[in-house]
Amino acid sequence: MTRERWIKSILAVLAVLLMLAGGLPLARHRHAQVPVVAGPGVTNVIKLSEFLPALRGTMADTNVYVLEGQEPGGKVLVMANTHANEPAGLLAALIMIENAVVEKGTLYMIPEFNASAGRNTKPGDGYPLYFDIPTEWGHKRFRMGNRDASPLEQWPDPDVYIHYPDRQSLSFNDVRNTNRTWPGRPDGPRMEQVTFAAMELMRKNKVNIAIDMHGAETMFPVTNCIVAPIKSSKIATLVSMTVKAMEGFDNHVEPSPQNFRGLSHREIGDFSDTLPFLLEAPIPFLDQPTGPKTTQLLLDGKDAFLLSLSKKKKLFVPYDENGWPMEKRVGQHCSVTLEILKQYSKKNPETAVRVRGVPKYADLVKNGVGHYFHDPSKAEKKSVFYE
Amino acid sequence: MSPLTKGVAAMKKTLFALATAALVIVFAPPAGSQGQISKAQLPVLTISAGQSNDANTVNAVLEEAGILYDYCDVPTVEMLNAGVGLAGKKSAEGFHVESYTDTAKYPKGTPYKTVIIAIGASLKGMGASGLTVDAEEARVRKIIDACKKKKIFLIAVHPGGEAGRGPSGSDNERMIDAVAPFADFLIVTKDSNKDGRFTKVAALTKAPLIQVDYALGMVDILKKVFI
Repeated sequence: MTRERWIKSILAVLAVLLMLAGGLPLARHRHAQVPVVAGPGVTNVIKLSEFLPALRGTMADTNVYVLEGQEPGGKVLVMANTHANEPAGLLAALIMIENAVVEKGTLYMIPEFNASAGRNTKPGDGYPLYFDIPTEWGHKRFRMGNRDASPLEQWPDPDVYIHYPDRQSLSFNDVRNTNRTWPGRPDGPRMEQVTFAAMELMRKNKVNIAIDMHGAETMFPVTNCIVAPIKSSKIATLVSMTVKAMEGFDNHVEPSPQNFRGLSHREIGDFSDTLPFLLEAPIPFLDQPTGPKTTQLLLDGKDAFLLSLSKKKKLFVPYDENGWPMEKRVGQHCSVTLEILKQYSKKNPETAVRVRGVPKYADLVKNGVGHYFHDPSKAEKKSVFYE
Repeated sequence: MSPLTKGVAAMKKTLFALATAALVIVFAPPAGSQGQISKAQLPVLTISAGQSNDANTVNAVLEEAGILYDYCDVPTVEMLNAGVGLAGKKSAEGFHVESYTDTAKYPKGTPYKTVIIAIGASLKGMGASGLTVDAEEARVRKIIDACKKKKIFLIAVHPGGEAGRGPSGSDNERMIDAVAPFADFLIVTKDSNKDGRFTKVAALTKAPLIQVDYALGMVDILKKVFI
């Protein structure tokens, strides 16, 4: 072989090795499973594709955990990981699935709403592929996801995403963002199918409340808040005032803008009788001016750059050297969700929802997130599901 | 009386006057202090100065307190003058009306006796109502003028805390400037008044000022206001 051929061959082999070194972890990440131990309150686990068969067999299909109480009452849909790089909602939803018992009414829990985004990642931004939550029985490993669904599920992106049905122009990648594709349509792009299926779940089951759990940067004003349209705003306001006064964490209400289309807090309310609430807890990991995007930053939220910005009053949350640990974010989501159910039930006793067994903010801050996860190796096989 | 005796008597008088003055300063409540809850009458209209969600906070507080009210986010002077029922206006895009006043007690058209203004600026809220900051400020000033002409009792509420404040000249501060100096009664959270802004306004205008730890604390206050 000539010298040139040797060099080319070596380079080709190196290229393949590099692709394997880079690609194999991503492939493993895409197929990694997170076990979930269905708690005593879970009465059924179905698939979202029950509400739209076109999702069946795709990576976009996802588990719906049904927790039906002995006493009929109101119905609540709780969604997490609409943006799979905002994992506090996922952890809060899994804690509810593993611990909640519904006494009255029904909960529908979708912990991985954008299942494809949960198997996507952002290596170009240095995202870790996984993060571990310490528990009493070891570490529980979770995939770190991305904001949008993977192009492997939905491709190509349009140059401009024209929102259905009102034709508002949105960013091209928002076609893979399940917080821009509401209310969706059955024959639209895959993520529109996901949101359509969720709308069908709400319409067919006459769901009273929809809660969508998110995380937002500390430099963004829409954080530490509940985003609510007018029809949900009274309940949202009472919830916000109560958690602030009684549970001691900051919260405010942001009105859902009428002219920004595609978001759950807008379209769910406009296209059904369900009252939507979108919850935001601060996630310093997503802020632009931070140090490296490590799992430590994801878990404790401590960052020297953000601390400096906080002193210059550039942040929208009260941030100090303690950061914003995962316990606080998950605790906020649990407490706000429980308070929404409480305030709604006060005003609507016929369709009240009563839940027990879910920890509140103070419990999570004291005991940690991992305290509430059960060991799948010790659980009955039929109680273990996979996300 | 000898000069010495006169001097001692004068000193005693001076000491007595100083002691009395000290007692007055320590024990007499200054204008606008904590604890002075004004009384107001129904029917009441709640409005917004700045279009933030704080108007919803005030409405939620009134509901928890069991007080029935009318509400409009951007009322005109004509609507204010129309009294209970707000001239039958209905909500539309960027315009929100609610009417819960007990019309058995206060029939439609009954003049409002009290207006509660929730102070808090939101560009999103103003934009949704088609307003700029300048337009909102002008609208609020017109309403306040009309209230003063009709001798309507004005309660200014600032529940938004530090998030509802800003540097001098900011939207939030402009709304405070437009409303607070004209209020007959001020209710704010301690967080809203961290820099003593509202204390200074109350000291100048002699309006009573109540500070609460949290917005939820306003429920008990308003129950006592509207007995």
